[in-house]
Amino acid sequence: MSTISRIAREEWRLWLRSKVVVAAAVIVTVLLATTSILTINRVAEEQSQRLEQQVAAEKTFFAQPDRHPHRMVHYGHYAFRPPPPLAMFEPGVDAVTGQSIFLEGHRQNTAMFADTKAAADLGGFAALTPASLYQILLPLLLIVLGHALFLRERESGTLAVMLAQGQSGTKLALGKALALLSVIAIFMIPLIAVAAYSMSLGESGLAALSLVSGYFVYLCAWGAIVLAASVILKQRSVSLGVLIFAWLFAALIVPRLAINASSAAIDAPGKIESDLVMLAEQRKLGDGHNAADPAFQRLQAEVLEQYGADTIEELPINWRGVVASYSEAELTKLLNGYAENRMNLEASQSRIFDLFGLASPTIAISSASRTLAGTDLATHHRFLRESETLRFNFVQSLNEIHANELDYETDINRNNDAASSQRAQVNSEAWQVLDEFRFGPDPANARVSRASLSLGVLVGWLLIAIGVIFMAARRVRL
Amino acid sequence: MTSPLEARSLSLNREGNNVLDGVSFTVAEGEIFALLGGNGAGKSTTLLAFLGFLEPLEGEVLVNGTSVHGDVASARSAIAYLPEAAALYGHMTAYENLDYFLHLAGKPASRDGLDAALDRVALPEEARSRRLQSYSKGMRQKTAIALALLRETPIMLLDEPTSGLDPVAIDEFHDLVKTLAQGGQTILMVTHDVYGACQVADRVGLLRHGQLVGSFSAGNGKRIDTETVHAAFAEREVA
Ligand SMILES: Nc1ncnc2c1ncn2[C@@H]1O[C@H](COP(=O)(O)OP(=O)(O)OP(=O)(O)O)[C@@H](O)[C@H]1O
Ligand SMILES: [Mg+2]
Repeated sequence: MSTISRIAREEWRLWLRSKVVVAAAVIVTVLLATTSILTINRVAEEQSQRLEQQVAAEKTFFAQPDRHPHRMVHYGHYAFRPPPPLAMFEPGVDAVTGQSIFLEGHRQNTAMFADTKAAADLGGFAALTPASLYQILLPLLLIVLGHALFLRERESGTLAVMLAQGQSGTKLALGKALALLSVIAIFMIPLIAVAAYSMSLGESGLAALSLVSGYFVYLCAWGAIVLAASVILKQRSVSLGVLIFAWLFAALIVPRLAINASSAAIDAPGKIESDLVMLAEQRKLGDGHNAADPAFQRLQAEVLEQYGADTIEELPINWRGVVASYSEAELTKLLNGYAENRMNLEASQSRIFDLFGLASPTIAISSASRTLAGTDLATHHRFLRESETLRFNFVQSLNEIHANELDYETDINRNNDAASSQRAQVNSEAWQVLDEFRFGPDPANARVSRASLSLGVLVGWLLIAIGVIFMAARRVRL
Repeated sequence: MTSPLEARSLSLNREGNNVLDGVSFTVAEGEIFALLGGNGAGKSTTLLAFLGFLEPLEGEVLVNGTSVHGDVASARSAIAYLPEAAALYGHMTAYENLDYFLHLAGKPASRDGLDAALDRVALPEEARSRRLQSYSKGMRQKTAIALALLRETPIMLLDEPTSGLDPVAIDEFHDLVKTLAQGGQTILMVTHDVYGACQVADRVGLLRHGQLVGSFSAGNGKRIDTETVHAAFAEREVA
């Protein structure tokens, strides 16, 4: 057995014989196990529920009876975002963004929480996820285990004996590093298990492996920081103090600063504020239900000319359907402009937040973790865009049916009596225009490339800390 | 013939204070040299200089004729060092401590080998499998001495080896050291114990404020005279 692994083994002997260390390890293990089990259950339930809800919503839509097509526009539909498999580990933005949207004509609704029940069940513990334990609690455990790793030998005088025996500081530091590495390897096991399970649920191996590697690099970076402190500093109280401060800084202070800085740098108007502006602009577009709205006069002239007709009654198509389709398109253009603007602001804020990974590895891993799990803001934005496309397509398809399959005469007389309104219906076969919607995470390589910057920052942190250890260990004196 | 240990006009500063000032002496092969001196005289510092932990300001220290600063590694490999305070792990048993340090030194020993060394320092057998945190000071010191023995190096640097030992154990230790020297080991030991030093050493050096102020040798089969050395030692009050 080589010297380095022997040093590591003796470290384990000390840990196993220390009540504090064993107690800390037991607490962390229990916490990790319960949190993982709770989160896995919750996410698995949500996943199957939302898929069922999606299918049920489609069935209900298709099952609607013969109707006036515009009533179907207002009947609406739902889009659901089921959690991706790795959300079992990293629920990401799911906790703060909605996961379902009601889709209807003339409106872009905000995403809602799919189930309020789940959040109420978990109370405040919804924030306690396996990912946050890995990001925040495990570094703390590494600090408890490792803050005196090297300097303890100095304190007890055994460093002098070892150096006098011809041992080098570097070898001793490497042995201690191996001890910490083996601890980290053990703490990777639950994550590896979750990653493997997620693959059985259809997650790609690349994404799962990248997530595992990302956390491994993150914990190694913390381990290296802890070891560097214990090589450089001479007193354990100082080392513990410095490391706890670094932990507070990385895990709490910098994230707080990053949030403030990103919202200060990019001033996103509040939702209500921008909704009011949007509403004013929307009025100028005219009411699509009222074909006589002066806002549509130019359209009328164009359409009449196109068909060589003098009056709207002469048109081969239903003028009311044309107006509905035109106004939906105009309105959507306006709404999309606002939505894109808001998403761009949010995306820029999140990029600024990510930049703070240079000041805190905890930020770097949290961002890489969300991205790789497919629970990041970008994925939520894609959900908003895709569900909007779904909405626009089915509304416009219904408007097209309105224009082509229902003649104008019948349409305007639909409120005369029961028989007239009966005539102003189309066959329910037409509801099949609704596309099937199945939202899933981005392909793994897209997620990995989006996370590459944060992963690179983590590797940078690790390399710097390792460099510091080597420089300090080579200079170890009595 | 080169001496195993030699200090040549060794001067040394620690944190800006002059701690050793022109110290010169040699220790021959198989010789026991005892360095006597009061607290802060520079005894431990001298040992650390031989181990290459402290760099001389002037002069040099040589191990087997080679300047320690030219080749720290070979100096250290020739020396077993017993530090001032027994530096061993409290959470390990005597066996575990010895096994670990010997493994690191590249000189692993069998359980029988460990027992033989622990027998020589008279550490009770029942204690050997107990963790050192339950040991008395003297028991810990005995374990540390056993470690130095097991290194089987040609040179031993012992910093207050008898501190914490009871009178019987001190006598046994002195016998042990004499046996080692007869076997050819070179021993430089540091102590406050005038009587003990005169009992065991072939030569006694007196260190005062970083200077070697006296040297006493045993001559023609007689031990060094304790009275003389004690008088010289006590002079520090006058000086
Ligand atoms: N780590 C250190 N840093 C700075 N100065 C030191 C250090 N250790 C000892 N000294 C100083 O060096 C001088 C010699 O100390 P040294 O330990 O060699 O004395 P000593 O003769 O071994 O004393 P003692 O009998 O108390 O062990 C003292 O003045 C002491 O203050
Ligand atoms: Mg001393």
